[in-house]
Amino acid sequence: MSEFKTVGKSEIRVDVKGKVTGRTDYAADLKMKGMLHAYLVRCFDHAHANITKLDMSEAAKEPGVVKVVGPDDVTSNVFNQSVIDAMVPPGLEEPMGDIDDQKIFADGRVKHYGEAICAIIATTEAAAEHAAKKVIVEYEPLTVYLNAEASKQPDAIQFDERKPGNLAFQLPEAMFPNNIMGHGDIDAGFAEADLIVEDTLYTNKQKQCQMEPNSYIALYDDDEKLTCWTSTQMPKCVQTKLAKIFEVPVSRMKLIQTTVGGGFGARLGMVLEPQACALAMAMPGHPIKIQSPREEDWLTSPSRHPGDWKVKLGFKKDGTPVAAQANFASYKGAYYLDGSGVAATTGGWLQAVYKWENLAYTGQTYFTNQPVCGAYRGYGNPQQTFVMESMIDRALEQLDIDPVEWRARWHKQVGDGTWFPDVPYSSVAIDACLEQGIEAFGWKEKRAKYKNQTGTIRRGVGVGLTTHTSGAFPMLLEHTVCSIKLNEDASANLTFACSDLGQGAHTALRQIAAEALDFPVDDISLNTQDGDITGFDIGAHASRTLYVGGGAVMEAVNDAKRQIFERAAKLLEANADDLELKDKQVFVKGSPSKSVSLKDMLYKSVYNYDVDMETGGSFADGQIEGYASYNPPHCSPPWAATFIEVEIDMETGEYKLIEMVNTHDIGRAINPAIVEGQMEGGAQQGLGMALTEELYFNDEGKVLNNGFTDYKMLGPSDMPKMTNIIVEEPDPFGPFGAKSVGETGLCTPVGAVSNAIYHATGVSVTDLPITPEKILKAIEEKAAA
Amino acid sequence: MSHHTINLTVNGMPQTVTVEGNQTLLEVLRETIDQTDVKYGCGTGECGACTVLVEDNKPINACLTLAATMDGRSITTVAGLANGTELHPVQQAFVDDFAIQCGYCTPGMVMKSVALLSENPNPSEDEIRHYLEGNICRCTGYAKIVKAVQTASDNMVQYAGGDTA
Repeated sequence: MSEFKTVGKSEIRVDVKGKVTGRTDYAADLKMKGMLHAYLVRCFDHAHANITKLDMSEAAKEPGVVKVVGPDDVTSNVFNQSVIDAMVPPGLEEPMGDIDDQKIFADGRVKHYGEAICAIIATTEAAAEHAAKKVIVEYEPLTVYLNAEASKQPDAIQFDERKPGNLAFQLPEAMFPNNIMGHGDIDAGFAEADLIVEDTLYTNKQKQCQMEPNSYIALYDDDEKLTCWTSTQMPKCVQTKLAKIFEVPVSRMKLIQTTVGGGFGARLGMVLEPQACALAMAMPGHPIKIQSPREEDWLTSPSRHPGDWKVKLGFKKDGTPVAAQANFASYKGAYYLDGSGVAATTGGWLQAVYKWENLAYTGQTYFTNQPVCGAYRGYGNPQQTFVMESMIDRALEQLDIDPVEWRARWHKQVGDGTWFPDVPYSSVAIDACLEQGIEAFGWKEKRAKYKNQTGTIRRGVGVGLTTHTSGAFPMLLEHTVCSIKLNEDASANLTFACSDLGQGAHTALRQIAAEALDFPVDDISLNTQDGDITGFDIGAHASRTLYVGGGAVMEAVNDAKRQIFERAAKLLEANADDLELKDKQVFVKGSPSKSVSLKDMLYKSVYNYDVDMETGGSFADGQIEGYASYNPPHCSPPWAATFIEVEIDMETGEYKLIEMVNTHDIGRAINPAIVEGQMEGGAQQGLGMALTEELYFNDEGKVLNNGFTDYKMLGPSDMPKMTNIIVEEPDPFGPFGAKSVGETGLCTPVGAVSNAIYHATGVSVTDLPITPEKILKAIEEKAAA
Repeated sequence: MSHHTINLTVNGMPQTVTVEGNQTLLEVLRETIDQTDVKYGCGTGECGACTVLVEDNKPINACLTLAATMDGRSITTVAGLANGTELHPVQQAFVDDFAIQCGYCTPGMVMKSVALLSENPNPSEDEIRHYLEGNICRCTGYAKIVKAVQTASDNMVQYAGGDTA
């Protein structure tokens, strides 16, 4: 029998009825009186070129066109479409070196394929798109740089004068001596090693591919209020940024969060909100809608950072990990965004997992003529999971040590440093994950069975392990405001700006409130979308919403309960500290007969008709509203391990995914079915990163596969049989002991599947995605050697 | 541009609309008759978010269908499935089995599942997975969608009293 009423139950989600009947509106579905449609004219001729001529006059004459808008018709303020820079503490701003380097339209020079040049506003979408063809743009082509190696060359054209050598970011000397993150003496570590493995690897430019294309509406109204309807993950940070770009006070920069049709990091910040708002200001009084075509999502919203790795690992004969050295030179794309973010945190993830005696990570990111990179579920962790987990297995093969045994022996424990080394682990239950995973998967039997295969069709099994975070404390601001209003009938309205990207956060946060108040879940409704009403919140990133948002909900409920108990104490002639709330009755602990009805109390708090005839004052105590302005005390990292079995055709390199067991240490599952959904959905993206997904370019920098046919994601028949194991050992800091689950689910499959392929074939593919062609090439090369 | 006046029945309601020769069914459903439950996902027939049913539960991508070719046809969208507040068994299974996360693929995924169960009331897991290829979901890894279709299949067979051969 559970100690809880709703926590731990798979309550039906709050948002699904409207979604399953089609009645839920996404931004694309909204229509407004006087609405006009905008089409952004983009450069599809070059990835790097100076704009020598822009003539919009013919387009302006086309039927249905209301206005053409070029760079001179909009604000010239520079900005950064990411919002990570808004969360960095002031003291860190200078060493991190974040810059604003974007404008509404290309600033005389196109730096990537698909960059926006100008816009057409028309009465219909079709008219705007048609007129766009009449815009005349002439270019002077420039040399195109598509990787870090090319862009760092001394004679390369500079992307930004503040970033010489096209080095957008490297670990700053002021915080990391010699630009190195880590500990110990790396050379001494390698000197001690009995075995050293080293290689160069490549991790890919994966795209989030959330199913909702990018659609925005903005209105600059008669009261000079700028309103933006957006499905951003980070409504409050975006509101702050838009207010700054357009120089309006936050009180007149209204942000309405529309239903989010997936995010996974693509909406961690702004996509086309600045363009929508700029066009609204150019055309006051009319809602302006931008419906960006699907194929432009690959060109406009940020992708995962791809890049080149150099990795060198040292072990003693018994497997003792003595030294790990890694360099990640990532490709930034054309603009800075959160350039400091991924390059730095990747090193954090890398040092978080195992007890390396000596560790040295270096990370740089270089501008390239590619669509921008930013946040994508995992934020550097999937990249490091692939390179580290696969290099570790190559060493363990030589040392003849079982991959699961080694991981169980060398993962970090409670008290060891997390990704932010000064913050020690508060809970680690990865041993239970590994134990249960081995059993459910049949690891030992399969590992032995597939040891010496010689046929054409071979099988292999692999494991991948990682840890992540619950919010970005203490590196970034982690602030959430929440309020809960108790109504006269003892129902409640919970208000916060925490986004639900589809992951189910709103449902789980409501369960936390219901459990803490001991209310039925249906008695609590949510206000989340109206930016004028909701308080501050950093937004949905870094797997924080359940953990930090849940902490804020708990604190707001506690504030409401404190007020309830203060009032009830007077009625019951008891000490407020001795009271408890159960089934909407306030009791004296241990004396259940001494109680007062919460409903009566709340009713009389507002519906009290007695007035003081002398002063006119009311005897009503007033409505109770609990409030929290919350910062979490920790980042309670979750852990995960994934086991995968694959089958490979040694003559073609083709593979089948047979079975997967996913184990997660998440403290507590507030809503188990929602947790499983994160694990299963994460797996589809992690397997896709490992096996099929990559954005390809030709030599001129044109994107070749910005469509679902050529950007291959795993479909329903490609997915393996999946088993989920949720390990619940409550964390001391999370709400009801919960840690996060949003991102780990993507990371571990990347390592596990590459190791399973290595186990089956004996060859290691070092650049993602691991396609059949690359597997076959590696098999043939090994046979020829 | 040529104009055509066509008659459609959408979710049981007769609609007479004038369409341009190059207009897709998706545009006409969403823009002309406000049927925004049919989603725009890619516009190129690659994602299935705009799946609707024509006549005898034949699934089509509305984004690849020229509206003018639909004259006289009866179309069912996800908004036409429920009977008042009572959800269709496929919708109910999607809710109960947590097959919905962001929800953007859901209208198309539900309609494709209805089409499958109409063709094959008792599909195997493998048949479900292959039939749903062409409808992309980026949130769920498909596990709970497949489960929901199985649940709906069980419930619909039960509902029909098991006497439909």
